[in-house]
Amino acid sequence: MPKITFVQPDGTESALDVDAGTTVMMAALAASVEGILAECGGNAMCATCHVVVVDPTRPGLPPVSDDEDEMLDCTASPRKEGSRLSCQLPVTEELDGLVVRLPEEQM
Amino acid sequence: MAQVIDDFAQTIQLDQLWSDPYPIYRRLRATQPVAWVPAANRYLVTRHADIAYLEKHPDIFSAAESPSLMTRVMGHTMLRKDGAEHLRERKAAEPAVRPRIVKQRWTPVFQRIADELIDGFLERGEADLFTDYAAPLAARSLAAVLGLAEVAGADLEEWSQAMMDGNGNYGDDPAVWQRADAAARGVENAVDAAIERLTAHPDDSVISAMLHAEDPLSHQSIRDNLKMFIGGGLNEPRDATLVGTYALLTHPEQRAAVDADPGRFKDVFEETVRWVAPIGMYPRQTTVETELGGVILPAGARLGIVLASANRDESVFTDPDAFDINRTNRVHLAFGGGPHYCLGTWIGRAQVGAVSMPTLLRRLPNLRLDETVPVRWGGWVFRGLLNLPVRWDA
Ligand code: FES
Repeated sequence: MPKITFVQPDGTESALDVDAGTTVMMAALAASVEGILAECGGNAMCATCHVVVVDPTRPGLPPVSDDEDEMLDCTASPRKEGSRLSCQLPVTEELDGLVVRLPEEQM
Repeated sequence: MAQVIDDFAQTIQLDQLWSDPYPIYRRLRATQPVAWVPAANRYLVTRHADIAYLEKHPDIFSAAESPSLMTRVMGHTMLRKDGAEHLRERKAAEPAVRPRIVKQRWTPVFQRIADELIDGFLERGEADLFTDYAAPLAARSLAAVLGLAEVAGADLEEWSQAMMDGNGNYGDDPAVWQRADAAARGVENAVDAAIERLTAHPDDSVISAMLHAEDPLSHQSIRDNLKMFIGGGLNEPRDATLVGTYALLTHPEQRAAVDADPGRFKDVFEETVRWVAPIGMYPRQTTVETELGGVILPAGARLGIVLASANRDESVFTDPDAFDINRTNRVHLAFGGGPHYCLGTWIGRAQVGAVSMPTLLRRLPNLRLDETVPVRWGGWVFRGLLNLPVRWDA
Protein backbone atom coordinates (compact mmCIF):
# COMPACT_ATOMS: atom_id res chain seq x y z
CA MET A 1 0.00 0.00 0.00
CA PRO A 2 1.47 3.37 -0.99
CA LYS A 3 2.17 5.70 1.93
CA ILE A 4 1.22 9.37 1.55
CA THR A 5 2.14 12.05 4.07
CA PHE A 6 0.23 15.31 4.53
CA VAL A 7 2.02 18.15 6.31
CA GLN A 8 -0.12 20.90 7.86
CA PRO A 9 1.05 24.53 7.82
CA ASP A 10 1.94 24.16 11.54
CA GLY A 11 4.14 21.13 10.78
CA THR A 12 1.77 18.41 12.02
CA GLU A 13 2.05 15.32 9.85
CA SER A 14 -0.42 12.58 9.02
CA ALA A 15 0.92 9.56 7.18
CA LEU A 16 -1.75 7.44 5.49
CA ASP A 17 -1.57 4.00 3.95
CA VAL A 18 -3.75 4.37 0.91
CA ASP A 19 -5.14 1.84 -1.54
CA ALA A 20 -4.00 2.34 -5.11
CA GLY A 21 -6.86 3.39 -7.39
CA THR A 22 -8.15 6.32 -5.36
CA THR A 23 -6.87 9.91 -5.57
CA VAL A 24 -4.78 11.86 -3.09
CA MET A 25 -7.83 14.09 -2.51
CA MET A 26 -10.17 11.15 -1.82
CA ALA A 27 -7.63 9.60 0.55
CA ALA A 28 -7.40 12.88 2.48
CA LEU A 29 -11.18 13.20 2.73
CA ALA A 30 -11.62 9.58 3.82
CA ALA A 31 -9.15 10.16 6.65
CA SER A 32 -10.58 13.65 7.43
CA VAL A 33 -7.22 15.32 6.86
CA GLU A 34 -7.68 18.96 7.64
CA GLY A 35 -7.30 21.57 4.92
CA ILE A 36 -8.71 19.70 1.92
CA LEU A 37 -12.15 21.10 1.05
CA ALA A 38 -12.55 19.57 -2.42
CA GLU A 39 -15.77 21.44 -3.02
CA CYS A 40 -16.30 20.31 -6.60
CA GLY A 41 -15.86 16.66 -5.73
CA GLY A 42 -12.77 16.10 -7.86
CA ASN A 43 -13.83 17.80 -11.05
CA ALA A 44 -10.91 20.24 -11.40
CA MET A 45 -13.36 23.14 -11.09
CA CYS A 46 -12.88 24.58 -7.58
CA ALA A 47 -9.16 24.68 -6.65
CA THR A 48 -9.97 23.91 -2.99
CA CYS A 49 -7.98 20.65 -2.96
CA HIS A 50 -4.66 22.45 -3.50
CA VAL A 51 -1.50 20.76 -2.17
CA VAL A 52 2.19 21.45 -2.67
CA VAL A 53 4.27 18.42 -3.56
CA VAL A 54 7.56 18.61 -1.66
CA ASP A 55 9.58 16.82 -4.38
CA PRO A 56 7.94 17.69 -7.70
CA THR A 57 10.59 15.78 -9.69
CA ARG A 58 9.84 12.42 -8.03
CA PRO A 59 8.44 9.59 -10.17
CA GLY A 60 4.75 8.72 -10.27
CA LEU A 61 3.38 12.25 -10.73
CA PRO A 62 1.27 12.70 -13.87
CA PRO A 63 1.90 15.86 -15.89
CA VAL A 64 -0.24 18.93 -15.13
CA SER A 65 -3.13 19.07 -17.63
CA ASP A 66 -4.40 22.35 -19.12
CA ASP A 67 -7.50 22.26 -16.90
CA GLU A 68 -5.40 21.71 -13.80
CA ASP A 69 -2.92 24.41 -14.83
CA GLU A 70 -5.65 27.02 -15.25
CA MET A 71 -7.25 26.09 -11.93
CA LEU A 72 -3.89 26.30 -10.13
CA ASP A 73 -3.87 29.98 -11.12
CA CYS A 74 -7.05 30.36 -9.01
CA THR A 75 -5.89 28.93 -5.67
CA ALA A 76 -6.52 30.89 -2.47
CA SER A 77 -2.92 30.54 -1.30
CA PRO A 78 -0.48 31.53 -4.04
CA ARG A 79 0.65 28.84 -6.46
CA LYS A 80 4.14 27.50 -5.83
CA GLU A 81 6.51 25.18 -7.56
CA GLY A 82 5.05 21.76 -6.78
CA SER A 83 1.46 23.06 -6.51
CA ARG A 84 -1.07 20.45 -7.63
CA LEU A 85 -4.77 19.72 -7.37
CA SER A 86 -4.88 16.62 -5.17
CA CYS A 87 -7.98 15.42 -7.03
CA GLN A 88 -5.86 15.12 -10.17
CA LEU A 89 -3.28 12.84 -8.51
CA PRO A 90 -4.21 9.16 -8.82
CA VAL A 91 -2.63 7.00 -6.13
CA THR A 92 -0.34 4.34 -7.65
CA GLU A 93 2.36 2.08 -6.21
CA GLU A 94 4.87 4.42 -7.78
CA LEU A 95 3.59 7.26 -5.63
CA ASP A 96 4.62 5.48 -2.41
CA GLY A 97 6.34 7.93 -0.06
CA LEU A 98 4.73 11.06 -1.52
CA VAL A 99 4.88 14.05 0.83
CA VAL A 100 2.57 17.03 0.26
CA ARG A 101 2.18 20.27 2.19
CA LEU A 102 -1.22 21.85 2.77
CA PRO A 103 -1.50 25.55 1.94
CA GLU A 104 -2.56 28.15 4.52
CA GLU A 105 -5.91 28.72 2.80
CA GLN A 106 -8.22 26.90 0.43
CA MET A 107 -10.88 29.63 0.09
CA MET B 1 -47.70 11.26 31.94
CA ALA B 2 -47.97 14.47 29.98
CA GLN B 3 -45.25 14.97 27.45
CA VAL B 4 -44.22 18.27 26.04
CA ILE B 5 -42.99 17.93 22.49
CA ASP B 6 -41.20 20.89 21.07
CA ASP B 7 -42.06 20.52 17.44
CA PHE B 8 -41.26 23.97 16.19
CA ALA B 9 -40.78 22.64 12.65
CA GLN B 10 -44.49 21.75 12.44
CA THR B 11 -45.46 25.39 12.95
CA ILE B 12 -43.25 26.95 10.24
CA GLN B 13 -45.17 28.71 7.48
CA LEU B 14 -43.81 29.43 3.99
CA ASP B 15 -44.67 33.13 4.15
CA GLN B 16 -42.54 33.42 7.31
CA LEU B 17 -39.64 31.81 5.51
CA TRP B 18 -40.16 34.14 2.58
CA SER B 19 -40.06 37.32 4.65
CA ASP B 20 -37.16 36.41 6.94
CA PRO B 21 -35.93 32.82 7.17
CA TYR B 22 -32.87 33.47 9.31
CA PRO B 23 -34.42 33.41 12.83
CA ILE B 24 -36.23 30.20 11.84
CA TYR B 25 -33.01 28.60 10.61
CA ARG B 26 -31.20 29.62 13.80
CA ARG B 27 -33.78 27.80 15.89
CA LEU B 28 -33.78 24.75 13.62
CA ARG B 29 -29.99 24.50 13.80
CA ALA B 30 -30.13 24.63 17.58
CA THR B 31 -33.01 22.22 18.16
CA GLN B 32 -34.00 20.29 15.01
CA PRO B 33 -31.15 20.36 12.46
CA VAL B 34 -32.86 17.76 10.27
CA ALA B 35 -36.57 18.45 10.63
CA TRP B 36 -39.72 17.45 8.80
CA VAL B 37 -41.36 20.74 7.82
CA PRO B 38 -44.92 20.06 6.62
CA ALA B 39 -45.31 23.46 4.93
CA ALA B 40 -42.29 22.76 2.71
CA ASN B 41 -43.27 19.11 2.34
CA ARG B 42 -39.69 18.05 2.99
CA TYR B 43 -37.03 17.66 5.64
CA LEU B 44 -34.99 20.83 6.01
CA VAL B 45 -31.28 20.25 6.64
CA THR B 46 -29.81 23.35 8.28
CA ARG B 47 -26.35 22.63 9.77
CA HIS B 48 -23.09 23.27 7.90
CA ALA B 49 -21.54 19.94 8.93
CA ASP B 50 -24.51 17.84 7.78
CA ILE B 51 -24.66 19.63 4.44
CA ALA B 52 -20.91 19.33 3.86
CA TYR B 53 -21.30 15.59 4.60
CA LEU B 54 -24.23 14.97 2.28
CA GLU B 55 -22.61 16.87 -0.57
CA LYS B 56 -19.79 14.32 -0.43
CA HIS B 57 -22.26 11.40 -0.70
CA PRO B 58 -24.25 11.97 -3.89
CA ASP B 59 -24.95 8.24 -4.14
CA ILE B 60 -27.10 8.45 -0.99
CA PHE B 61 -28.42 11.99 -1.48
CA SER B 62 -29.58 12.01 -5.07
CA ALA B 63 -30.29 15.03 -7.27
CA ALA B 64 -32.74 13.02 -9.36
CA GLU B 65 -35.75 14.01 -7.30
CA SER B 66 -39.00 12.43 -8.41
CA PRO B 67 -41.57 13.68 -9.06
CA SER B 68 -39.93 17.02 -9.82
CA LEU B 69 -41.69 20.23 -10.81
CA MET B 70 -38.49 21.34 -12.44
CA THR B 71 -38.49 18.34 -14.78
CA ARG B 72 -42.08 19.10 -15.66
CA VAL B 73 -41.16 22.66 -16.68
CA MET B 74 -37.73 22.16 -18.20
CA GLY B 75 -37.44 18.51 -19.21
CA HIS B 76 -34.44 16.40 -18.22
CA THR B 77 -31.67 18.75 -17.22
CA MET B 78 -28.31 17.86 -15.71
CA LEU B 79 -29.41 19.41 -12.42
CA ARG B 80 -31.73 16.47 -11.79
CA LYS B 81 -29.34 13.72 -12.90
CA ASP B 82 -26.64 11.79 -11.08
CA GLY B 83 -23.41 9.96 -11.87
CA ALA B 84 -22.08 9.46 -15.38
CA GLU B 85 -25.18 10.82 -17.08
CA HIS B 86 -24.83 14.11 -15.22
CA LEU B 87 -21.08 14.31 -15.70
CA ARG B 88 -21.31 13.87 -19.46
CA GLU B 89 -23.61 16.88 -19.86
CA ARG B 90 -21.70 18.97 -17.40
CA LYS B 91 -18.33 18.29 -19.03
CA ALA B 92 -19.77 19.32 -22.38
CA ALA B 93 -20.74 22.76 -21.01
CA GLU B 94 -17.66 23.39 -18.86
CA PRO B 95 -15.19 24.75 -21.45
CA ALA B 96 -17.36 27.87 -21.80
CA VAL B 97 -17.29 28.74 -18.09
CA ARG B 98 -13.82 27.80 -16.85
CA PRO B 99 -11.72 30.58 -15.27
CA ARG B 100 -9.39 31.32 -18.18
CA ILE B 101 -12.11 31.81 -20.79
CA VAL B 102 -14.13 33.79 -18.26
CA LYS B 103 -11.25 36.16 -17.75
CA GLN B 104 -10.19 36.52 -21.36
CA ARG B 105 -13.45 36.28 -23.22
CA TRP B 106 -16.39 37.05 -20.92
CA THR B 107 -15.13 39.63 -18.43
CA PRO B 108 -14.66 42.29 -21.16
CA VAL B 109 -18.22 41.55 -22.35
CA PHE B 110 -19.59 42.00 -18.82
CA GLN B 111 -17.63 45.24 -18.51
CA ARG B 112 -19.05 46.62 -21.76
CA ILE B 113 -22.62 45.81 -20.72
CA ALA B 114 -22.13 47.36 -17.27
CA ASP B 115 -20.71 50.55 -18.76
CA GLU B 116 -23.53 50.83 -21.31
CA LEU B 117 -26.16 50.48 -18.62
CA ILE B 118 -24.50 53.09 -16.42
CA ASP B 119 -24.08 55.47 -19.39
CA GLY B 120 -27.85 55.22 -19.80
CA PHE B 121 -28.70 56.54 -16.34
CA LEU B 122 -25.57 58.33 -15.11
CA GLU B 123 -27.00 61.85 -15.58
CA ARG B 124 -30.17 61.01 -13.71
CA GLY B 125 -28.63 60.97 -10.26
CA GLU B 126 -30.98 58.27 -9.04
CA ALA B 127 -31.97 54.72 -9.96
CA ASP B 128 -33.45 51.50 -8.73
CA LEU B 129 -30.42 49.31 -9.18
CA PHE B 130 -32.62 46.21 -9.45
CA THR B 131 -34.46 47.15 -12.63
CA ASP B 132 -31.95 49.66 -14.04
CA TYR B 133 -28.74 47.71 -13.53
CA ALA B 134 -28.49 44.35 -11.79
CA ALA B 135 -31.30 42.54 -13.64
CA PRO B 136 -30.47 43.69 -17.19
CA LEU B 137 -26.75 43.20 -16.58
CA ALA B 138 -27.30 39.63 -15.41
CA ALA B 139 -29.67 38.89 -18.32
CA ARG B 140 -27.49 40.31 -21.08
CA SER B 141 -24.36 38.72 -19.64
CA LEU B 142 -26.08 35.35 -19.41
CA ALA B 143 -27.33 35.66 -23.00
CA ALA B 144 -23.78 36.29 -24.20
CA VAL B 145 -22.23 33.38 -22.30
CA LEU B 146 -24.94 30.96 -23.39
CA GLY B 147 -24.70 31.86 -27.07
CA LEU B 148 -28.02 33.70 -27.27
CA ALA B 149 -26.60 37.17 -27.79
CA GLU B 150 -29.39 38.09 -30.22
CA VAL B 151 -32.08 37.51 -27.55
CA ALA B 152 -33.26 40.65 -25.77
CA GLY B 153 -32.40 40.84 -22.08
CA ALA B 154 -36.04 41.54 -21.25
CA ASP B 155 -37.16 38.28 -22.92
CA LEU B 156 -34.60 36.36 -20.96
CA GLU B 157 -35.79 37.99 -17.72
CA GLU B 158 -39.41 37.03 -18.48
CA TRP B 159 -38.53 33.43 -19.45
CA SER B 160 -36.40 33.01 -16.38
CA GLN B 161 -39.06 34.26 -13.99
CA ALA B 162 -41.87 32.32 -15.66
CA MET B 163 -39.97 29.03 -15.51
CA MET B 164 -38.87 29.64 -11.93
CA ASP B 165 -42.47 30.27 -10.96
CA GLY B 166 -43.32 26.96 -12.62
CA ASN B 167 -40.60 25.19 -10.63
CA GLY B 168 -42.27 26.49 -7.49
CA ASN B 169 -45.85 25.86 -8.59
CA TYR B 170 -46.71 23.56 -5.71
CA GLY B 171 -50.28 24.90 -5.80
CA ASP B 172 -50.75 23.56 -9.38
CA ASP B 173 -52.05 26.90 -10.66
CA PRO B 174 -52.92 26.47 -14.39
CA ALA B 175 -52.05 30.09 -15.23
CA VAL B 176 -48.56 29.54 -13.86
CA TRP B 177 -48.13 26.39 -15.98
CA GLN B 178 -49.29 28.25 -19.06
CA ARG B 179 -46.79 31.05 -18.63
CA ALA B 180 -43.99 28.59 -17.82
CA ASP B 181 -44.79 26.48 -20.89
CA ALA B 182 -44.80 29.56 -23.10
CA ALA B 183 -41.41 30.55 -21.69
CA ALA B 184 -40.04 27.05 -22.29
CA ARG B 185 -41.20 27.25 -25.92
CA GLY B 186 -39.60 30.68 -26.26
CA VAL B 187 -36.29 29.26 -25.05
CA GLU B 188 -36.54 26.26 -27.38
CA ASN B 189 -37.06 28.48 -30.43
CA ALA B 190 -34.17 30.75 -29.50
CA VAL B 191 -31.91 27.76 -28.84
CA ASP B 192 -32.84 26.15 -32.15
CA ALA B 193 -31.85 29.30 -34.00
CA ALA B 194 -28.56 29.40 -32.07
CA ILE B 195 -27.88 25.73 -32.80
CA GLU B 196 -28.27 26.35 -36.49
CA ARG B 197 -25.85 29.26 -36.42
CA LEU B 198 -23.29 27.65 -34.09
CA THR B 199 -23.19 24.32 -35.88
CA ALA B 200 -21.53 26.03 -38.83
CA HIS B 201 -19.66 28.72 -36.87
CA PRO B 202 -18.51 27.54 -33.43
CA ASP B 203 -17.65 30.16 -30.81
CA ASP B 204 -16.83 30.24 -27.07
CA SER B 205 -20.43 30.00 -25.83
CA VAL B 206 -22.11 27.26 -23.79
CA ILE B 207 -24.37 26.13 -26.62
CA SER B 208 -21.40 25.91 -28.97
CA ALA B 209 -19.41 23.94 -26.36
CA MET B 210 -22.25 21.46 -25.97
CA LEU B 211 -22.64 21.09 -29.74
CA HIS B 212 -18.96 20.60 -30.44
CA ALA B 213 -17.95 18.60 -27.36
CA GLU B 214 -15.93 15.43 -27.81
CA ASP B 215 -19.14 13.63 -26.89
CA PRO B 216 -21.70 16.11 -28.28
CA LEU B 217 -25.11 16.47 -26.66
CA SER B 218 -28.36 15.93 -28.53
CA HIS B 219 -30.31 19.01 -29.55
CA GLN B 220 -33.07 18.08 -27.11
CA SER B 221 -30.62 17.81 -24.27
CA ILE B 222 -29.15 21.22 -25.19
CA ARG B 223 -32.65 22.75 -25.22
CA ASP B 224 -33.50 21.30 -21.82
CA ASN B 225 -30.24 22.32 -20.20
CA LEU B 226 -30.57 25.82 -21.61
CA LYS B 227 -33.94 26.14 -19.88
CA MET B 228 -32.18 25.27 -16.65
CA PHE B 229 -29.34 27.76 -17.25
CA ILE B 230 -31.83 30.53 -18.01
CA GLY B 231 -34.16 29.63 -15.14
CA GLY B 232 -31.33 29.30 -12.68
CA GLY B 233 -28.51 31.48 -13.95
CA LEU B 234 -29.96 34.94 -13.90
CA ASN B 235 -31.15 35.70 -10.41
CA GLU B 236 -27.93 34.70 -8.63
CA PRO B 237 -25.59 37.30 -10.16
CA ARG B 238 -28.43 39.84 -10.03
CA ASP B 239 -29.05 39.21 -6.35
CA ALA B 240 -25.37 39.10 -5.42
CA THR B 241 -24.80 42.46 -7.13
CA LEU B 242 -27.66 44.03 -5.20
CA VAL B 243 -26.94 42.48 -1.81
CA GLY B 244 -23.19 43.20 -2.02
CA THR B 245 -23.77 46.81 -3.07
CA TYR B 246 -26.35 47.27 -0.32
CA ALA B 247 -23.94 45.81 2.23
CA LEU B 248 -21.17 48.21 1.21
CA LEU B 249 -23.53 51.21 1.27
CA THR B 250 -24.60 50.32 4.81
CA HIS B 251 -21.09 49.49 6.13
CA PRO B 252 -19.01 52.65 5.54
CA GLU B 253 -15.76 51.29 7.05
CA GLN B 254 -15.82 48.28 4.78
CA ARG B 255 -16.63 50.47 1.82
CA ALA B 256 -13.64 52.64 2.66
CA ALA B 257 -11.49 49.51 2.69
CA VAL B 258 -12.54 48.55 -0.87
CA ASP B 259 -12.21 52.16 -2.07
CA ALA B 260 -8.64 52.06 -0.84
CA ASP B 261 -7.93 48.63 -2.33
CA PRO B 262 -10.24 47.46 -5.14
CA GLY B 263 -8.59 44.04 -4.86
CA ARG B 264 -10.87 43.58 -1.85
CA PHE B 265 -13.96 43.23 -4.07
CA LYS B 266 -13.01 39.57 -4.18
CA ASP B 267 -13.63 39.41 -0.44
CA VAL B 268 -16.83 41.44 -0.81
CA PHE B 269 -18.18 38.92 -3.28
CA GLU B 270 -17.39 35.85 -1.15
CA GLU B 271 -18.82 37.49 1.98
CA THR B 272 -21.94 38.59 0.09
CA VAL B 273 -22.82 35.08 -1.05
CA ARG B 274 -22.07 33.75 2.41
CA TRP B 275 -24.21 36.40 4.12
CA VAL B 276 -27.25 36.00 1.87
CA ALA B 277 -26.80 32.91 -0.30
CA PRO B 278 -28.60 33.60 -3.62
CA ILE B 279 -29.66 29.96 -3.77
CA GLY B 280 -30.96 29.44 -0.27
CA MET B 281 -32.26 25.90 -0.66
CA TYR B 282 -32.00 23.08 -3.18
CA PRO B 283 -33.70 19.66 -3.17
CA ARG B 284 -32.22 16.19 -2.71
CA GLN B 285 -33.79 12.78 -2.23
CA THR B 286 -32.40 9.80 -0.30
CA THR B 287 -31.80 6.62 -2.30
CA VAL B 288 -31.62 4.34 0.78
CA GLU B 289 -32.50 4.55 4.46
CA THR B 290 -29.78 6.63 6.06
CA GLU B 291 -28.86 8.64 9.13
CA LEU B 292 -28.24 12.36 8.98
CA GLY B 293 -27.66 14.66 11.93
CA GLY B 294 -28.99 12.03 14.32
CA VAL B 295 -32.22 11.51 12.37
CA ILE B 296 -33.08 8.28 10.54
CA LEU B 297 -34.38 9.14 7.08
CA PRO B 298 -36.31 6.54 5.08
CA ALA B 299 -35.37 5.78 1.47
CA GLY B 300 -37.04 8.27 -0.87
CA ALA B 301 -37.16 11.05 1.74
CA ARG B 302 -37.36 14.49 0.16
CA LEU B 303 -34.86 16.94 1.60
CA GLY B 304 -34.36 20.68 1.38
CA ILE B 305 -30.66 21.49 1.68
CA VAL B 306 -30.59 24.93 3.27
CA LEU B 307 -27.33 26.55 2.13
CA ALA B 308 -28.57 29.86 3.52
CA SER B 309 -28.56 28.32 6.98
CA ALA B 310 -25.20 26.53 6.65
CA ASN B 311 -23.69 29.90 5.76
CA ARG B 312 -24.93 31.35 9.08
CA ASP B 313 -23.95 28.36 11.22
CA GLU B 314 -22.56 29.75 14.50
CA SER B 315 -20.40 26.68 14.98
CA VAL B 316 -18.46 27.66 11.84
CA PHE B 317 -18.71 31.45 11.56
CA THR B 318 -18.25 33.93 14.43
CA ASP B 319 -21.04 36.48 14.57
CA PRO B 320 -22.64 34.82 11.51
CA ASP B 321 -25.36 37.43 10.92
CA ALA B 322 -22.83 40.24 10.50
CA PHE B 323 -21.54 41.25 7.09
CA ASP B 324 -17.76 41.25 7.44
CA ILE B 325 -15.31 41.16 4.55
CA ASN B 326 -12.45 40.66 7.02
CA ARG B 327 -13.47 37.15 8.08
CA THR B 328 -10.63 34.68 8.15
CA ASN B 329 -12.91 31.65 7.90
CA ARG B 330 -14.76 31.74 4.62
CA VAL B 331 -15.75 28.13 4.01
CA HIS B 332 -19.25 29.09 2.89
CA LEU B 333 -21.36 26.65 0.90
CA ALA B 334 -23.03 29.16 -1.42
CA PHE B 335 -21.88 27.27 -4.54
CA GLY B 336 -22.98 23.90 -3.20
CA GLY B 337 -20.54 21.02 -3.42
CA GLY B 338 -19.77 17.70 -5.02
CA PRO B 339 -20.57 16.85 -8.64
CA HIS B 340 -23.19 19.62 -8.87
CA TYR B 341 -20.82 22.34 -7.62
CA CYS B 342 -22.09 25.54 -9.25
CA LEU B 343 -21.13 25.59 -12.89
CA GLY B 344 -21.39 29.39 -12.86
CA THR B 345 -18.95 29.92 -9.98
CA TRP B 346 -16.22 31.59 -12.06
CA ILE B 347 -18.76 33.54 -14.09
CA GLY B 348 -20.31 34.86 -10.88
CA ARG B 349 -16.96 35.78 -9.35
CA ALA B 350 -16.02 37.73 -12.47
CA GLN B 351 -19.38 39.29 -13.27
CA VAL B 352 -20.13 40.47 -9.75
CA GLY B 353 -16.78 40.57 -7.96
CA ALA B 354 -14.73 42.03 -10.82
CA VAL B 355 -17.31 44.01 -12.81
CA SER B 356 -20.77 44.87 -11.51
CA MET B 357 -19.98 46.09 -7.99
CA PRO B 358 -16.61 47.76 -8.65
CA THR B 359 -17.93 49.58 -11.73
CA LEU B 360 -20.92 51.00 -9.85
CA LEU B 361 -18.86 52.30 -6.96
CA ARG B 362 -16.21 53.70 -9.26
CA ARG B 363 -18.53 55.47 -11.67
CA LEU B 364 -21.33 56.82 -9.46
CA PRO B 365 -19.86 59.57 -7.27
CA ASN B 366 -21.02 59.59 -3.65
CA LEU B 367 -23.34 56.65 -4.23
CA ARG B 368 -25.79 56.27 -1.33
CA LEU B 369 -29.11 54.68 -0.43
CA ASP B 370 -32.19 56.75 -1.22
CA GLU B 371 -33.49 56.95 2.34
CA THR B 372 -36.97 57.97 1.20
CA VAL B 373 -37.73 54.54 -0.31
CA PRO B 374 -37.40 51.49 1.95
CA VAL B 375 -35.48 48.51 0.59
CA ARG B 376 -37.41 45.24 0.52
CA TRP B 377 -36.09 41.70 0.94
CA GLY B 378 -37.82 38.49 -0.05
CA GLY B 379 -37.47 34.78 -0.68
CA TRP B 380 -36.02 31.69 0.93
CA VAL B 381 -35.48 29.18 -1.92
CA PHE B 382 -33.94 32.14 -3.74
CA ARG B 383 -33.38 35.21 -1.62
CA GLY B 384 -32.34 38.76 -2.35
CA LEU B 385 -33.36 42.39 -2.49
CA LEU B 386 -36.51 43.25 -4.43
CA ASN B 387 -35.38 46.83 -5.05
CA LEU B 388 -32.34 48.99 -4.38
CA PRO B 389 -33.16 52.71 -4.60
CA VAL B 390 -30.01 54.84 -4.70
CA ARG B 391 -28.83 58.37 -5.43
CA TRP B 392 -25.49 59.84 -6.44
CA ASP B 393 -24.03 63.22 -7.39
CA ALA B 394 -24.84 63.72 -11.07
S1 FES C 1 -11.75 18.91 -5.77
FE1 FES C 1 -12.24 20.66 -6.90
S2 FES C 1 -10.48 21.02 -8.03
FE2 FES C 1 -9.99 19.26 -6.91
